[in-house]
Amino acid sequence: MAEKSKKYVCPYCGEEFDAAEGLKGHVFKTHKGHGLPVSEGGIKLTVNKSEYTLKVKPNWTLYYLIHDVLGLTGSKQFCDRGACGSCAMIVDGKPVLSCMMLAAECDGKVIETVEGIAADGHPLIESYVINHAMQCGYCTPGFVVTSKALLDGNSDPTEEEIIEALAGNICRCGTYPQHIIAIKETAAKLRVEKSAGKGAK
Amino acid sequence: MVSKHPEDQTARMVEMFDNLGADKYPLEQYKYIGQRIPRRVDGLDKASGQADYTMDIQLPGMLYMRFLVSPYPHAKILKMDTGKAEKLPGVRHVLRYDDPGLPETENIGYFPIFQNDRPLDCIAHFEGQPMGAAVAADTEAIAEEALSLIEIEWEERPFILDPVAASEPGAPLSYPERYGDGNFWNRGVLDELIHGDIKKGFAEADKVVEFKITRNGHTWISPERPCGVWKWNGDCAEAWVKNQRPFVAKRNITTWFGGIPMNKIQLHMPYQGATFGGWTHVDWSFGGLYCAAAVSRRTKRPVKYILTRREDFYGSSMDEGIYFVKVGFKNDGTITAVDGTVYHVSAIHPAFSPVVHLHENTRIPHLHGQIKSIWVNKGPSVGIRCEMLVPVLVQTMVMDRVAAELGMDPIEVALKNDGCQGHDMDWLNEQKKKCGFEVHDSLKECIEKGKAEFKWDESWHKPAARKLPNGRMHGVGFTWAHEWSDSTGSGEVAIRIERSDGTATLLGIHCDNGVGAENAYCQIAADELGMRMEDVHYNPHFDPGFHLNSPDSSCGMSANGWAVRHAARILKQKILESATSPGSPTQRGSYAPAFPNTKPEELDIKNSRIFVKSDPSRWISLADYARLMAIQGPVSNAELFGARSAWTEPLFAYAYHVQEGEYNPHSPREKFCRQAHFMEVEVDTGTGEIYVTRIVNVNDVGKVINRMSCEGQQYGGSIMGMSRGKLEEIVHDPVTGVMLNGNLIDYKIATIKDVGPIGTMLVESGMGYGPYGLVGIGEDIATVVPHVIAPAVYNAIGVWIYDFPITPDRVLKALGKI
Repeated sequence: MAEKSKKYVCPYCGEEFDAAEGLKGHVFKTHKGHGLPVSEGGIKLTVNKSEYTLKVKPNWTLYYLIHDVLGLTGSKQFCDRGACGSCAMIVDGKPVLSCMMLAAECDGKVIETVEGIAADGHPLIESYVINHAMQCGYCTPGFVVTSKALLDGNSDPTEEEIIEALAGNICRCGTYPQHIIAIKETAAKLRVEKSAGKGAK
Repeated sequence: MVSKHPEDQTARMVEMFDNLGADKYPLEQYKYIGQRIPRRVDGLDKASGQADYTMDIQLPGMLYMRFLVSPYPHAKILKMDTGKAEKLPGVRHVLRYDDPGLPETENIGYFPIFQNDRPLDCIAHFEGQPMGAAVAADTEAIAEEALSLIEIEWEERPFILDPVAASEPGAPLSYPERYGDGNFWNRGVLDELIHGDIKKGFAEADKVVEFKITRNGHTWISPERPCGVWKWNGDCAEAWVKNQRPFVAKRNITTWFGGIPMNKIQLHMPYQGATFGGWTHVDWSFGGLYCAAAVSRRTKRPVKYILTRREDFYGSSMDEGIYFVKVGFKNDGTITAVDGTVYHVSAIHPAFSPVVHLHENTRIPHLHGQIKSIWVNKGPSVGIRCEMLVPVLVQTMVMDRVAAELGMDPIEVALKNDGCQGHDMDWLNEQKKKCGFEVHDSLKECIEKGKAEFKWDESWHKPAARKLPNGRMHGVGFTWAHEWSDSTGSGEVAIRIERSDGTATLLGIHCDNGVGAENAYCQIAADELGMRMEDVHYNPHFDPGFHLNSPDSSCGMSANGWAVRHAARILKQKILESATSPGSPTQRGSYAPAFPNTKPEELDIKNSRIFVKSDPSRWISLADYARLMAIQGPVSNAELFGARSAWTEPLFAYAYHVQEGEYNPHSPREKFCRQAHFMEVEVDTGTGEIYVTRIVNVNDVGKVINRMSCEGQQYGGSIMGMSRGKLEEIVHDPVTGVMLNGNLIDYKIATIKDVGPIGTMLVESGMGYGPYGLVGIGEDIATVVPHVIAPAVYNAIGVWIYDFPITPDRVLKALGKI
């Protein structure tokens, strides 16, 4: 039954055909020279523990999808070309620059944004607040996300490791020294929590 | 407000007059002022991603608008076809420069003394200038695509980029519409400063040196790009603005479209993403919003305009230019004369004389300085943290060159020349006394602290004398200046005690640019009202009709701090009067006072509780005093059922502060507080790379309000300053006039890897004109630190470099290696 009802859909115009041959003939005849077909694709992804099924356009970046379409505006666009880290998100456990990743590439991925990190009560947030690891605040979410990814994989980073991890995050206000303090404090807090059996987030 | 207590207003006025000198009414005890207040008012918002910036605003049906930009440094549109752009699906409107609905001459914004640009011009005077057309579409991507479909016939005009060449007769005109007879713009505003007799000064000198400095343009790089949102609600305007001056925004908007009444403009000031003055000071900064408003009116939809990251490289800082400096001095390090001339690039503002700092903070008897404003085909140069870049660059180079010429410690030269307006320290100390200040030698205190922290005596050496084991040359540099925060401006604010919980809300729209001033206002209000810090809140983003002084000129604290303090003191007095008086009369008589048979002066407020001073067990919390909000108003529920409970009048006070300071030429005030900065570098003479390994900042801020915020301005300003000193410059192609590095990959700004440890130290001499004797700190460090790299590099390699930023190629050139 399933085989019988299968349709062959033209990726250019959506016209349906019963057989592949019919579709081939149609594309050759109607769409010759049109370049690769552009159509909306559906993806499934998990953002901050919620599952989404979404239609995305081929030119959408992950940043655009999260910030503009889903309205999670914590991630910020600063440089727009992978130079500043403000749009960092954690994708399948690794920090990525969401302005440099296409939304269409994120099918099946697990995404964590600053909103998710805050909602989980991660101690980084409080450490950032009490250490003034921010001024204008525009780049701050990107730093929080990058730091969280660092701490996920390294429970006791050295100053050098912290500097290396944050080397791709730009802060125009120059708050860099405070991030090192905030991350070290958070790491110590998380280690205490872990040894007390609460488990790190 | 009709005050029930006119004497309160008088008391406040007296206090305002008093602040022409020292603060005579500081608090006896500070609970929050001066402390490390870690919980920033904006902290959780910003760290958790909940803080909304204008870029984050999305409204139902909102269109996105982008501008055409000129591909040429100087060109005119002869013909423009927008037909294809208009037909692109998703495009809702194309606004053209020749639209009959656009004003020819309407003032769209900024100060009346400066030029006002049309919202959409047909002539570009620099490459990358937004002009010609704006496209509003369903998405930004569609708007961008539509822009590429616009067909234009251009008239390319000759252009010029070099300011000295542009000042020569017969040079191509960069801006013939404004400056038809040459590229000069001498407005006679603050561009020339003379004191003493410069000829006599050089005659008195044992030695005279001359040098030329070039400073390439650097820019603001606001993390949030220029943008704005407009929505019409009937004939009422609603706007989300990225600009650090909400009152200027509103004043401009009220003049648009034949006039929009002030009471029909709802302004939102979301978080600003660090403006540093930059975009705010550009003449055209309201052009985008004007076009958004015009398109919104036609499409009946909200419109957001956005400039791209490259378009944010709109202009440069006010120090861009070429400097010619001549210094005369005696063999003991006493400077007798300084003459400075700056060819200043495309200055949109009145720039400051190159010797204005030497006038304000030294005893140098003979000074002459002038600015020649030359317009070239680059974006305008504007005040970016801050206008004082020119004079502090000159001060550093003058002081350190003199020290180097004489083989003296630059600290010794600084102390020898410290003074004010050509007078020595004895004269300056007399002025401190006259103003009522306790006399401190601010520079000496700063230097002593900094020297010990930096270990200056062990670090400073003869030039090119210390090679490190890693093969690099070691060097240290020192510079100093006064603290400035004494502009002309005003702040107005109100404080209300909320019903139901007795918390206090500060009311006044203000630009949050990250310096944490909002915290400091809350600290002042909390200490003055006797409230707990957590009971005081300030949301600067909405418009209650009161406007605080913008953060310009480091005047946030010195102007607004007074306003908050006045308001808090008036409000406290009102609360105590109210607590001892019968409540307002009703048909059934007045309400009994909370503290019967007591005088206001017998009460006090601490920890958000009103209490009797002689018997602190008699108290009522502000929450209980302010009363619950009940079903039908601010009386208790019991009232509905016939019982009588207390009622309190609304507890609200407003105040203001007008500051007429340094920028007001009619009443200049002496500057008493000083700052000193120390930098250590290592120079790799093979690659020319400069490693900044250590910085120590010492600032006499008069009085610390929030210690963490002050330190934030120190290390943050040091990093920005170091970045400006060795990394940041905008590069134009001399052949095409096109900007080559308008992005954050090719335009370098400091990362966490570019910085060594920064020591931050504060001095509290109390000699500021602000409340509690404070002076501002926001602009100082980022403005002074860029130049200390020059003496530090000189100390390392023994050669002066006069071209900023001091990049590796300039180091190699100085060493004769390239």
